[in-house]
Amino acid sequence: MMRPGRAPRAGAILLAATALGTSFAAAAGEFPYRVLQRIALTSAAPVQALAFGPGGKHVFATAGAQLRRYGTASAEPGKVLKLPGAGVGLAAAAHDGGVLYVATRSPARLLIVALRPLRIKTSIALRNGEPSALLYDRVGHALYVESRIGHSVARLEPKSGKTLGVAHLHGHLEQMAASGRGMLYVANAADHELDAIQTAGMRSDGAIPLSGCTAPTGLAMDTVGRRLFVACGNGQALVVDEDMGFTFVRLPIERAASLRTVFAFHPLGPGGWKGGVFMAGDGPALDAIRMTAFISYVGGGGLPLGGRCTALAVSPVARRLVLAPAPRSAGTSTAGAAVRAGGAQLLILGANGAGGSR
Amino acid sequence: MTRFVTRLRALGALLLLAAAFALPQAHAALAPWTALRGKSVLFVTGGAHSPQPNDDALVRRHLRKLGFLVRTVDASAPESAAAGASLIVLSSTADAHALGRKYADSTVPLFTWNTYDYPNLGLTGPVLHRDFEVIDPIQHYPDSFAVLYAYGANLTSQISRAVGLRPQLFGTLYLEPETAGWGRPGPGGTVIADFMGLQSHAAVFTYERDASLANGRPAPARRAGFYLGSDDFHLLTAAYGPAAKDPNMRRWAIGVKLFDTALRWAASPPPPPPAYDPAALESAIRRISHGQKVLFVERVNAGEGRRSDEHIVAHLRRLGFTVTIADQSAPETRARGQDLVILSGTCSKWKLANRYANVPVPVISLEGLMSDTLHFTGYDRYVDYGEHGELRESDDPPEDYLNIVGAWSPMAAGLKPGLVKFENNPGVLKWARPLPDATVIATVPNEPRECAIFGYPKGALMAGGFIAPASRALLPLDNPTFDDLTPQGKALFDAVLLWSIGG
Repeated sequence: MMRPGRAPRAGAILLAATALGTSFAAAAGEFPYRVLQRIALTSAAPVQALAFGPGGKHVFATAGAQLRRYGTASAEPGKVLKLPGAGVGLAAAAHDGGVLYVATRSPARLLIVALRPLRIKTSIALRNGEPSALLYDRVGHALYVESRIGHSVARLEPKSGKTLGVAHLHGHLEQMAASGRGMLYVANAADHELDAIQTAGMRSDGAIPLSGCTAPTGLAMDTVGRRLFVACGNGQALVVDEDMGFTFVRLPIERAASLRTVFAFHPLGPGGWKGGVFMAGDGPALDAIRMTAFISYVGGGGLPLGGRCTALAVSPVARRLVLAPAPRSAGTSTAGAAVRAGGAQLLILGANGAGGSR
Repeated sequence: MTRFVTRLRALGALLLLAAAFALPQAHAALAPWTALRGKSVLFVTGGAHSPQPNDDALVRRHLRKLGFLVRTVDASAPESAAAGASLIVLSSTADAHALGRKYADSTVPLFTWNTYDYPNLGLTGPVLHRDFEVIDPIQHYPDSFAVLYAYGANLTSQISRAVGLRPQLFGTLYLEPETAGWGRPGPGGTVIADFMGLQSHAAVFTYERDASLANGRPAPARRAGFYLGSDDFHLLTAAYGPAAKDPNMRRWAIGVKLFDTALRWAASPPPPPPAYDPAALESAIRRISHGQKVLFVERVNAGEGRRSDEHIVAHLRRLGFTVTIADQSAPETRARGQDLVILSGTCSKWKLANRYANVPVPVISLEGLMSDTLHFTGYDRYVDYGEHGELRESDDPPEDYLNIVGAWSPMAAGLKPGLVKFENNPGVLKWARPLPDATVIATVPNEPRECAIFGYPKGALMAGGFIAPASRALLPLDNPTFDDLTPQGKALFDAVLLWSIGG
């Protein structure tokens, strides 16, 4: 059943979809990263969430009920922190000497973790349903916890974890992105749109239709250029002008039921890309969009993975990407894929020409 | 409480209904989308010879979404391909030279963004860069940013009202240097939006059926030109999501809305052509003149035009108006309580000063030289306004003919497009160059930019950003001219009169 107020939006979608019915993708460029490090994971549980530490020297991963820290240069595993439940969301913040936010399910809790030493400082019960995603908005200094089951997104005070407001939504909620200027967007895979939320009161502010996109799951935002980057299940990546809700670029990517998207300025360092968008998930590749100017985006190439990727993160400071390919059995790897058959691992990617081992 | 709410709702519904009926006639004349559903569209593209990339497939899908039945042909298809179609849509991917004049005489309405084909269709003159131009980011990189913006030049056309166009800039295409075309329609055309505030650079323009095209021929059906390039349909602006709630953004991002509305206008049935019937015209005036008060402003005891003024007043009284005569020097407050002000050609521009420019009642000026003070046009004498036949004040000879270019308008009295004898003897004829929101009825022969009869409806955008508080019209009758008018000239007088009082 169409929700009240959806009819005009559906019309807008139709119109926009019509206007973007065919692909006008720029030719994909060469993917600028290669695998620098492979970190074997001792846990058999798939990695659920990844985050770089504030300085980019460490990467954190949740697998099962464990939080693990790794050095990006040495690939050596560091301390392991036992969690009260499976960690499903992870975000790092630089304040207070660096903290990590972890959302766990069963029990549904938000953990505020100190980095030095790695320990749980605070544990808060989440009362709006089992969490499915976590987002720290550095610019807006706010923390958001999404519950797909609870059809809600809660805004939390980042220091105390106190709930400041809850927005109740419909549909299938996926990745979130914050504008840092009072808006939060949530990819809604069921309604093929982005739900817009005013963060001051956590009130719904309508939705942005996504032209020609079905099942949007990945979402990231450039808060300076005010662009939203959406990864869609039908093999399209969209660039949306936030100020107009207008989709103005569409590029082909892997078809996948579930994708995650990250964005970073200058992910290759000075002289490299002006900005980069990276998408990976259920598809067998990592896709990239290269930002050449605030109004210009082209395909940035892709990296075959040979299988699913359960999490990814980017650090423009460290000029590193980290991926968590799903564990694979022997004989199923695609030729040329960056992922070899074997147990769970993390891939640390760096710019072509950077040191490291293949 | 519930009953109160029910009554409140009923009252709201009634108010909405009343508002709908109160809409100007022009607005109501746009056919609803439901009436256009199932109509056939002939979509003419470049086919296999189209430049790549292009958005023809998107346009085709969009037309179908709007409810049209679309048949696509390429430029080589014969003109007979349009038989049975309700609308021809011409893409810029079709080779204009291959098209030639193919659809120029078609009685099927036509909507085009094939700028190079504008001259073939008679929509503009033939000279590139002067009469039409395509701006593209490769050859005209700086200008390709300028065409991302257009100016709402016309507030009162059916398209303008439906879109809610304002006298301000709007975004045409999304924020990248893009390809767009402009045309310079003839005086029978209606400029809806222009680039850079230049009336000669029309981004969106139309011709009503029977309006004179730039080549002088009457438009055989509605014609509309649009600024689109071959591959930027997908960049036509629109606001979605939270942005759509911002009225400023809604008014800014109107590219799609303008496209759809211009298309809808072209596909809507035009008004029936008025018939030339002076007696019926007089009867129509008599039906509404009773109780209507006219202030006739003249130079009291004028020399040359005195008898002519007396005859105009007598004519008005015979038609049923209550006429009050005011001297040109009388205060403007004389217009209070009046339904119409007519400024005689005997008035001195110097003495009349700026009187009656701002009065909230309709004004007909019989004197063209006051076109600047009345906001009809700019201030450049002999450029924005001027005269033919005035000894020592004009280089041009006296005139007795007018060229009808707005035959479709009731102001044209049902006269056919082309030359019409206006006066029995060549005399002084004043003209002006109005802004796009005026409907031009007649020009000086051989001077398509010198407009002799035109009218601004209420709410129209006039010179200097002035918004017409009531209708304004120019009907140039020099001092003794009324007595020398031909029957056609008298019919034009009556038709302008009727239009001005809202008939």
